[in-house]
Order: sequence, then C-alpha cells, then structure tokens
Amino acid sequence: MRKGVLELCILSIISEEEAYPSDIIEKLKNFELIVVEGTMYPLLTRLKNAGLLGYNWRESTSGPPRKYYHLTDDGKAFLSELINTWHHLVSVVDQSTKNLIGNE
Amino acid sequence: MGGFPFTIDVDAFAHLEDYLDKIQAHFAGTEGFEEIQDDIEMRMAELLQSRLKSKAIVNGDDVQYAISVMGSPEDFGVDEAIEKAFHRKQGSNYKTGKRLFRDPEDKVIGGVCSGLASYFGVAEPLWIRIGFALVGIFGGIGLPLYLLMWALVPEAKTPKDFLAMRGEPINVNNIAKIVEEQVEQISDHLSEIGQDWKERRRKKKSWKKRRKY
Repeated sequence: MRKGVLELCILSIISEEEAYPSDIIEKLKNFELIVVEGTMYPLLTRLKNAGLLGYNWRESTSGPPRKYYHLTDDGKAFLSELINTWHHLVSVVDQSTKNLIGNE
Repeated sequence: MGGFPFTIDVDAFAHLEDYLDKIQAHFAGTEGFEEIQDDIEMRMAELLQSRLKSKAIVNGDDVQYAISVMGSPEDFGVDEAIEKAFHRKQGSNYKTGKRLFRDPEDKVIGGVCSGLASYFGVAEPLWIRIGFALVGIFGGIGLPLYLLMWALVPEAKTPKDFLAMRGEPINVNNIAKIVEEQVEQISDHLSEIGQDWKERRRKKKSWKKRRKY
C-alpha cells in the first residue's frame, strides 16, 4: 500500500520535470514518505524496466554524470490511471470515515 | 568508484567496501540488480566528491556521511520485486513421485525389503522380510524374485534418491536433513571403529603384560 503511494508520488514528481533521484528524495523527505536514498534506486530501476520511465545521462559539474528520469508514454498513461484510482480511493475512504464520524 | 578516482584512508576504505558488499548481498538475485548497484555506487561517489571541496583524502566521517544519506540495506524496506525473488527461491520445491530404491541404510541383504517398505509406506521392513521369507520357503519364487529386484532396483545413493524413495519433495531443507542424517551415521560409524580399536589395544596390552610375568 505504502509502496503504491510512493510510486504515485515519484511518478508525479517526475512528470513535472526530468528529475534526478536525489532531487526526488528531497521532495519526498518533506512528506516523510521516504527516509534514505537507497530505497529509490530499486524502485526506479523497476519502473524503468516496466517501461514506465526512461532516463538521459547528463554531465554534472560535481561528480559523475547523472541519470535524469522522465516519464515514457506508457508511464504517462499509467500515472493518469493511478491518479484516477487514487481519487476513487480517497473518496471511498472519505465517505466511509464520514459515516463513522456522523454516527458517533 | 563510479568512474572517479578517490584517495581514501584505510579504515574508511574498509568501511566503504563492507557497505558496498552488504548492498550487493541485499540486491543479489533481484531483477536489474547490477544497475541498482551501479546507481548506488555512482551516487556514493558523488556524495563523497561533494565532501572533498577543501581536502584531498576521504576519511571515515565522509564515508559515514555518504552511508547515512544512502541508508543501510535494512532501512530500504523490502521491495516487492525482492520479495518475489525471495519467494521464488523459497518455493522451489518441485515435487517428484515416489520411486523405488534399495535402502543401503537399513538392509539385511540387499536393502530390497526396506526399499519396498518405504515405497509402500510400511513402517517396519521386517514384515516385508517375513513375507519374502515365507514366499521363499513355500512358493519357491521368493528367492529368484529377491535376486532379480536386487539386480534391477537401483540403490539410493544421493540425498535426492533418499527423498524420492520416501516420497518427500526435493527442497533445500529436506536435502539438508538427509545430509545431516548421513553425517551422523558416519560419525557413529567412526566412534564405533574407535571403540573397536581401543578394545583391541587393551587386549594387546594385557597380552604383553601377561608375557612379562
């Protein structure tokens, strides 16, 4: 469950602009969804192998060249589907919790 | 590392190497693990590089810093892909049908009867032996049948054979069990030999003593 949410967040962040893993981490750290960078790499590699992400090499001023990730067309379709599912989930959860609170 | 040369002190190097080994062990068997490993190494290189603005040698603190940013494998959480790979490893017991073997661990003549006993699920091979003996005495086909089976039925030799003989699925746990049993048997056998040898020596000594008198 948490993994799915994490994937959704990562894909959304990448959809805004090409992103470098440590930038993604920076953004996610604010939401306390992820703690260490090591979690990201397997996830990104998996999404990439699933054909949802692509990457470009970019030279970096400090250190080795970096992989910048972007969404593929499949990734975009998958993301919009995920977002729909997410909204559906949120409304269902809202509804059921509202009933609970109303009964109390 | 990551295509960059580093000057690094010995302790820091040991620490870093240990960490990278742990990462490798953690991801081994995962789909695309080489790429993950490369990505992590590259990022580590970058982190170290960023700490080297005013000095030339990477020390223990720098390595500690890079590791704390990256996190230890225990913090990564179990990724679904890794979980799947793990289950695949665990669930790899392909079942085999029961097969007839001669059991060399429990034999009177050729292990045919005990093999038959485990094939048919009879707990005590003695009954089969008695059956064979009776048929041998009264019918006359018992002995030729026994010899024929002795010649034709293979003897169980490998742990795999033993498992197939008992109809247990072949997996790592069961094979380990069999190997343990065999090692126990061998050590029992060895201690028997040792006992025997001591006995003989004692006899020899007492014999020598007797000669002195």
